[in-house]
Amino acid sequence: MSIQKSDLRIWNCQIKKIKEIRVIYPAFSSHMIKALTMKQKKSKRRALFLQLYQNCFPAVARYVARSGGSLADAKDVFHDALIIYYEKSQDVEFQPPRDETAYLLGMSRNLWCRQYQQSGRYVSITECQVSTDLAAEEKHSALAGKIMHLLESSGRRCMEMLKAFYYEKLSIGELAAQFGYKGEHSATVQKYKCLEKVRDTVKQKSLSYEDFLA
Amino acid sequence: MRTSLRETKMLDDYNLRNQRKDERLLTEAKLILYPELRDKLHWQQRVYEVVRQYGRRALKAELETVHEQLFTESRFARFRSRIFRIFKKS
Repeated sequence: MSIQKSDLRIWNCQIKKIKEIRVIYPAFSSHMIKALTMKQKKSKRRALFLQLYQNCFPAVARYVARSGGSLADAKDVFHDALIIYYEKSQDVEFQPPRDETAYLLGMSRNLWCRQYQQSGRYVSITECQVSTDLAAEEKHSALAGKIMHLLESSGRRCMEMLKAFYYEKLSIGELAAQFGYKGEHSATVQKYKCLEKVRDTVKQKSLSYEDFLA
Repeated sequence: MRTSLRETKMLDDYNLRNQRKDERLLTEAKLILYPELRDKLHWQQRVYEVVRQYGRRALKAELETVHEQLFTESRFARFRSRIFRIFKKS
């Protein structure tokens, strides 16, 4: 079967179009690959949590039950331990423990003892920071909750972007891919714009809420 | 990048310890000289705390989904009864 002149013309035309697209969006294909990787990362993390839950949660539950806690307490303390473990694992210098069950049980025990002894009930790390000054903590926590609610409703995209960079430790390239920016420069500029916007909101609202709470 | 964004970047690099020694010294000198810059640094540090709390809440939501899965799906029935037995005893 021979190639017709008309086929060649169509083929050349297609190649020209692809080249044009690549000139306009030079990093298009790599962005798509990176965006896919982000989804895979999330599903991998979920699979890991599922596995850690099955392996380690029974030991934590036994410990909390023996100390007079409920299933809800065991869940809260285990979630906090997993969150801290995840945060530590994002650090480049982090050395993974040899025995994850022992590591997570140890961390859960510490969290349970410290928090339960202080307040007589378990207070999750997502509710407040560890502090001995509970009155100041409650005031701070109420303030933080109000600001968080405001940011969740009015500045979600910015918060998602800042979370991806500062909490999930994505690189600027990955950030550009996930949020659909043409390149790293655009993503960097947008990140700083978000930082400024959220900083101004936090300042403005903190000052007005503090006046309200005082 | 406009001036205010460059300032935000400088404070960000200062916080993340991404500056060379001479750059860090210069930032510290500016922080002593300009109270408005110190104020910006203070509020920017609050943003990092807020972002961390936001990240933790999102992760906690993911964990709630995993918990829900383990305590509702039939393939995890053995795991579930193991946990319920622990709390029945106490």
